[in-house]
Amino acid sequence: MNSAIETKPWAIRVEGVSKKFGLTLRQSMNYGLRDTASKLLGKNAGSNGVLREGEFWAVKDVSFELREGEAMGIMGVNGSGKTTLLRILNGAFSPDAGRAQLRGRVGAMIAAGAGFAPMLSGRENVYVNAALLGLSTKEIDDLMDEIIAFSELGDFIDLPVKNYSSGMHVRLGFAIAALSRPDVLLMDEVLAVGDLNFQKKCFDHILQLKKSGVAIILVSHSPGAIWSVCDRGLFMDRGRIKEAGLVEDVIRAYDDQNALNAITASAQFDQAVAYHDVSASAESADYGHTQGGTGDVVCNSVSLLDERMDLTANEFQFMQTIVIDAEFSVSALQENLFLRFTIDAMNYRFIATLDSHEQGLDLARIEPGHYRLRVDVIRPNFRPGAYKLNVGVSRKGLGVHLFYWFGATHFIIKHPKDKFLYADSNAVMHLDSKFAIEKLQPLDASNIAAKKLHCNG
Amino acid sequence: MSGQKTLRTYEPLGHALGLLATLGLAWDEIVFSRHVIWHLFKRDFVAQFRQKIMGYCWIVIAPLMGIVPFVFLHRAGIFNPGQTEMPYPVFIVMGMGIWGFLTSAFSVVSGGLQNNQDLIMRTNIPKITFAITGMANLLYNLVVHCVVVAVFLLVMGKVPSAWAILYPLALLPIICVGVGLGLMFSVIGTLARDLNSIMATFLNLLMFVSPVVYQPDFEHGFLKAVTIWSPFTYLVDCPRTLFVAGYFPHVQGFIWATLFAVVVLFFGIHSFYLVKDKVAERL
Repeated sequence: MNSAIETKPWAIRVEGVSKKFGLTLRQSMNYGLRDTASKLLGKNAGSNGVLREGEFWAVKDVSFELREGEAMGIMGVNGSGKTTLLRILNGAFSPDAGRAQLRGRVGAMIAAGAGFAPMLSGRENVYVNAALLGLSTKEIDDLMDEIIAFSELGDFIDLPVKNYSSGMHVRLGFAIAALSRPDVLLMDEVLAVGDLNFQKKCFDHILQLKKSGVAIILVSHSPGAIWSVCDRGLFMDRGRIKEAGLVEDVIRAYDDQNALNAITASAQFDQAVAYHDVSASAESADYGHTQGGTGDVVCNSVSLLDERMDLTANEFQFMQTIVIDAEFSVSALQENLFLRFTIDAMNYRFIATLDSHEQGLDLARIEPGHYRLRVDVIRPNFRPGAYKLNVGVSRKGLGVHLFYWFGATHFIIKHPKDKFLYADSNAVMHLDSKFAIEKLQPLDASNIAAKKLHCNG
Repeated sequence: MSGQKTLRTYEPLGHALGLLATLGLAWDEIVFSRHVIWHLFKRDFVAQFRQKIMGYCWIVIAPLMGIVPFVFLHRAGIFNPGQTEMPYPVFIVMGMGIWGFLTSAFSVVSGGLQNNQDLIMRTNIPKITFAITGMANLLYNLVVHCVVVAVFLLVMGKVPSAWAILYPLALLPIICVGVGLGLMFSVIGTLARDLNSIMATFLNLLMFVSPVVYQPDFEHGFLKAVTIWSPFTYLVDCPRTLFVAGYFPHVQGFIWATLFAVVVLFFGIHSFYLVKDKVAERL
């Protein structure tokens, strides 16, 4: 934390906050009625600190402190408790244990556009939404021109909101929330609004607010957005804090967890598919979802090894050599055989191929028998994430697969400690490059204006 | 600087607040949210008349349309309302109007949280605000009702009494009962959605043992006792007679009924504050 921030007073203080919910509507209703009756009878309801049957912790024992001018990004997969925590901070949910304190006016971007009536004009709706954000009528009058200018709605401000495009709607909501001069700003995935210029304006405004001492909490799935705004991060998993600290470290941990989750989800999917294949008719077994082929060659097992210890592994460091260890059975003589491994990323298929023939292994004549294959994939430059390994066997001149196995095994590449690979979660390969920059000549003011015009045009 | 900023603290309520504490809290929160109440009222008021061919005329037309079936049944000789001190159309316009304040107060307050669930989840406005936002509309309707009734009386050849000036005050107790019941059911209604409609049906049944569309003069002992002991008998009949004839027919009954209304209102506010924290998560 930088020392200037350290001297500032806290704006948000959260101490051991927990919140529980019922799993089903019926349980929720039963407990609700029971708690209500207890409260009305003057008893302490809800056995706040403990779970009852059918309840779960949506947020459990969360503590942190945020000072004025600090920004914290909260990350986590769906259902990890981010939104519940934000709603507790915004006063919608009351905590079952612990305490949350906020100092100053709270501007909640989750309230952007709240209370808009479609039949009313944008201007009329500004009054409603701004009042909901805690502004008085006088303050709204003073801010009106600024809101219209920021939202870039111009004359459309007097058009009924029902005729607004979704972009105009969000822009107006964002403008009101952003200009409401908060001391604490709570945001939930709202930075991707409007066109690129408007998004840039939003980012600039939020950074300006931060500079002026506003404490910001941003909940997002986008590491890029969080890294742009926040200095600190909080990674939540099943309601608990899994990692808290510098934003880069938290993003790394989040990325690694995402990769692990992808592997688990994929394995469960494969299991379900395999079950489906088995329960389907026997005829389809050879042409199933995940495995198939003529049966002359079969890959019995595939595992990945950590070359340093020769142990089976599924998690590898960035640029660490991966060893593929596979066993094959050949039931009939094969000529000009080739063995192939392909790799899928989370969002893309076949991002890389390892082919025995391409890599120089000549399999001109393979007698029937059992074989073991070892492939050393040397320092692969996959970016952090989850990957799937597929197996294929064929031979020259044959139009079909002798054997294929989709999703034979999975592995994840962990985030490196010495690099921060934040730029694009969709990218799969890291190309080591050298960047260099030199100044050719300074631009005068008129040149800069002309360049900007060119870019916008 | 930070010392001057408002400090918000959210924590589980460890102990039950006393009645006076909840009344004080309710007052503070309503004063704090007065801008929101005003803007939400304006929003709903303006929005309900936009894109309607008769626009603001509906303010007058809507209450008159409600009495048409009863006047028709009366004129056709199918329906005998009993002995009334005033022309039957006046009796029913006022009776339905007064009963309407009870049912509207109940429905706008009890449905206030459910109708504003999006705002409850997204803003940090005190929840009492959403429960009573509809009340602004109700108070506006009270003004309209007074004017419509006065004009209607003149049309029927009767002049409102000078005591009619106290009519809005005399209506406050029945509105308080509606608000109190509404506050109790606003929270419970978010837990079990059918409770509000059960209560609304019960209020509709209660109308038929109250002097709303006819003068209840039952021979059956139980029904007679219900009519005598029901506070609604006095909360409906007294304001109406005051407006038309200029006197209170049952002063003692009205005082007891008013005390009943105050107790219901206070208990409604108290129970609302005891359990309001459970609202958002059940919506």
